[in-house]
Amino acid sequence: MTKCILIVEDQEDNRIILRRLLSKAGYDLIEAMNGEDGVALALSKRPDLILMDIQLPIVDGYEATRRIKSNAELRSIPVIAVTSYALSGDEAKARAAGCDAYVAKPFSPRQLLAKVREFLPTGG
Amino acid sequence: MTALRTRMAATTSAASTLKRSSWRKVSILAASLRQCWSEAASKARRWRPNLLNKIRSTGSRRAGGLFRKYATLLVALVGGALIINAIIEMYYSYGESRHALIAVQREKAQGAAAVIEQFVKEIEGQIGWATGFLPAGSGLEQRRFDFLRLLRQAPAITEVSYLDGDGREQIRVSRLAMDALASGADLSQEPKFVEAKDKKRYLSPVYFRKESEPYLTLAITGTGRGAGVTVAEVNLKFIWDVISRMQVGKAGVAYVVDERGLLIAHPDIGMVLRKTDLSQLPHVALALRKLRDVHLDVPAISQDHAGHEVLTAYASIGSLNWLVFVDLPLSEALQPIYDSFRRTIIVLALGLAFAVLAGIWLAQRMAVPIRALAEGAARIGGGDLDHRIEIQSSDEVGTLADSFNEMGGRLKESYATLEQKVTDRTLELSEALDRLRALIEVSQAINSTLELRAVLAAILAHACRLAHAGGGAIYTFDDVTEEFSLAATHGMSAELIETIRATHPRLSDSSPIGQSTLTRSVIQVADLAAEPAYPLREALLRADVRALLAVPLLREEGIIGAFMVRRRRPGTFDQTIIELMQSFASQSALAIQNARLFQEIDEKSRQLEVASQHKSQFLANMSHELRTPLNAVLGYAELMQDGLYGELAPETKQVLERIQGNGNHLLGLINDVLDLSKIEAGQLVLSVDDYSVENVVQTVVSTTEPLAAAKKLPLKVDMSKDLPVGQGDERRITQVLLNLVGNAIKFTDAGEVRIAVTAVNGVFAFAIADTGPGIPDAERDRIFQEFHQLDSSNTKKKGGTGLGLAIAKRIVELHGGRLWVESELGEGSTFRLELPIRAEERGAVA
Repeated sequence: MTKCILIVEDQEDNRIILRRLLSKAGYDLIEAMNGEDGVALALSKRPDLILMDIQLPIVDGYEATRRIKSNAELRSIPVIAVTSYALSGDEAKARAAGCDAYVAKPFSPRQLLAKVREFLPTGG
Repeated sequence: MTALRTRMAATTSAASTLKRSSWRKVSILAASLRQCWSEAASKARRWRPNLLNKIRSTGSRRAGGLFRKYATLLVALVGGALIINAIIEMYYSYGESRHALIAVQREKAQGAAAVIEQFVKEIEGQIGWATGFLPAGSGLEQRRFDFLRLLRQAPAITEVSYLDGDGREQIRVSRLAMDALASGADLSQEPKFVEAKDKKRYLSPVYFRKESEPYLTLAITGTGRGAGVTVAEVNLKFIWDVISRMQVGKAGVAYVVDERGLLIAHPDIGMVLRKTDLSQLPHVALALRKLRDVHLDVPAISQDHAGHEVLTAYASIGSLNWLVFVDLPLSEALQPIYDSFRRTIIVLALGLAFAVLAGIWLAQRMAVPIRALAEGAARIGGGDLDHRIEIQSSDEVGTLADSFNEMGGRLKESYATLEQKVTDRTLELSEALDRLRALIEVSQAINSTLELRAVLAAILAHACRLAHAGGGAIYTFDDVTEEFSLAATHGMSAELIETIRATHPRLSDSSPIGQSTLTRSVIQVADLAAEPAYPLREALLRADVRALLAVPLLREEGIIGAFMVRRRRPGTFDQTIIELMQSFASQSALAIQNARLFQEIDEKSRQLEVASQHKSQFLANMSHELRTPLNAVLGYAELMQDGLYGELAPETKQVLERIQGNGNHLLGLINDVLDLSKIEAGQLVLSVDDYSVENVVQTVVSTTEPLAAAKKLPLKVDMSKDLPVGQGDERRITQVLLNLVGNAIKFTDAGEVRIAVTAVNGVFAFAIADTGPGIPDAERDRIFQEFHQLDSSNTKKKGGTGLGLAIAKRIVELHGGRLWVESELGEGSTFRLELPIRAEERGAVA
């Protein structure tokens, strides 16, 4: 069964790159443009992994992650924070919000794919 | 005392200069004032007993000395006169007595000499007479008859004989033997004949008959040719009688010596019989010599044959060349002189005793009042100003005592006034001290609190207390509205405050506040009741205000406000109070100005903080906004490179690589600029946590190894075993090491890059050594500056932003460590990094 990854990202270019990268790698993808939709999609679709941008409209990545991780049913879904908040303490903040991994923007598609494969070893 | 007075003067003048002087000076002044007070007190305590003792000791010593001095002087004067008198008297009386005695003795000697000479001359005359008429060859009977008659007439002649011109004895008539007629005995060789023939007269030495009676042979030559010599044996018993009868004192003697010094007559006949030769006695010898030589003095004092000292005088029996001596033992001769001396000495002793007694008495009489004077003066000097010296005398001492008594009285008076002065001064001093203390407290209040209201209230409270004012107020002035508003009040009723607030006092008002600030001077109203035109007069009078004093609050730049104190009783304010109020006013102005400045600074810093926050936000936003498109660029490039968009022509791939390279460079720039701006804004906060140096080095090595491998450079690691766990910002430390190792690889074309790590003295010591071109001395410090690279042409070739070392150095310093480089041109460089093992969280350091 093909693994499903939820991409929460408001930048279209990033969505395109991720979509291209990950679909080529054999993952199913669902996409949300903001934190609120992201949480909703996570609830409805139960993805196997969530790539979470942090700076998002409506509900930011930290809050969205907190909501997901506070839901007993969603808690087990790994959340990788993908953020350009490259400032000191961003990673700690992301981890405090419940993120399982952290990838700083600008990410190298290869490195991101490697990170995804840590959690989902087989594309499907 | 002078010092005290000077400091007092300093205190009063201090109040006027306070406005200008700093508050530190004020506190120093207060301290010196306290010190001077205690010094003066302790000096006064020490001074009194000392002085008293000094006066006492001096007084008694001087009085005793005076008595001794007077007594000695008097005794010396009287005694000296007496002694000199006695000595002179004794000297002259001795001389006179001696001369008198000698004269008496000489008279006696001369008397005796005259008697003896007379005796001898008579005999000579009688012999001459008896023989004179008989011519040579006249009848023997006749001669015998004449001789018998001669014997009868001159009892001293014992025997008489006649020698003819040839020296033959013709006749001899004697009382003791048979007469001899024409015995014809040849006596021509006898001295009596020879000398008589030669000198007409011959005197033989004395001889003794029957060993008891002295005799003398007297031979006289008759007159005419062929005259014979008549020889008479003369008994000298007569001379002896003369001498013996002579009374010379008790033990004195008279005696006769002949021209050879042989004793002829002496009361002690034994001596004459022994034919004593006295020519060895000094006076006899001299007297004998004087018979021939007149230029001689015979001493009056000599020694007799027994060696006793004698007073001697003599007379010569001219025709006989005999000498009569009268000797008196010196002890006896001088006895009257000694008696006279003894009397003189007794008189002298009595005189001296009298002089001593009189001296003591007189000295006592002179010294006692002086001693009384000294003791009295000492008591007065010692502080017993009621003491009076009791001397009943009209002389100078009495006058002096009166002067002392008068002086004591005066001193007492001046002491009394002095005490009053001291009391006054003390009061002034304590008031001055009080003012100073108030000023100090005010200045402390200004310095310790920024709460303007509290400071002004404190100033006002002190000012009212010291000015004896029931109430007061401090107004601030608004430049725009030109109105005064109450900033602080003291002792004012709510009603009065409300009234004043409602009137909005203005600069142009005729009120003291307006007037004083307008004229920039102090204005006082001595009695409000006498000022009918005064604004708010009724309200103030209702509030029981009668006098007031307004002082302007001025700074260089203009009017700050006004200061006012009000009294319940009318009257003017003292100059000292006015000066004090001016000081308080300037303090108030300072406080208000300070408060305004602080407010301004506060406002500015708040604005700065907001600006800074904006900047931070802007940086964060910019960072994000710049990365997002860059992310897309790099992402697409990588996807294309990985063939996700189909196979690419080799040339396209090269272009894509260049796009990626430039994109990464831009990313590096963005990151570095962000880091640097955060550091400069003091916003770079280290997230300090435990870390493993091994892990950090491992990360660095694994990240940089591909770079080194690409240049075929060996990357060697030399790490001590068992390095302790470090504390610091792991990510930042990694960033620093990455930068240093990356640079080393970047600038080295051949050789090796070596990383060494040890832990010593509480620091991790890193050394990143390369075999690159090295760094010139001049550049060694500059490479740590922003945007600085050794060779700007290198930048493009080697990559890098020129910010890495600057950031690395700041990060190391934030950890409390240091970063420096050792290098030799052509040999390579070694970057050394010392990092505290346990770095404290230092927070944001610019």
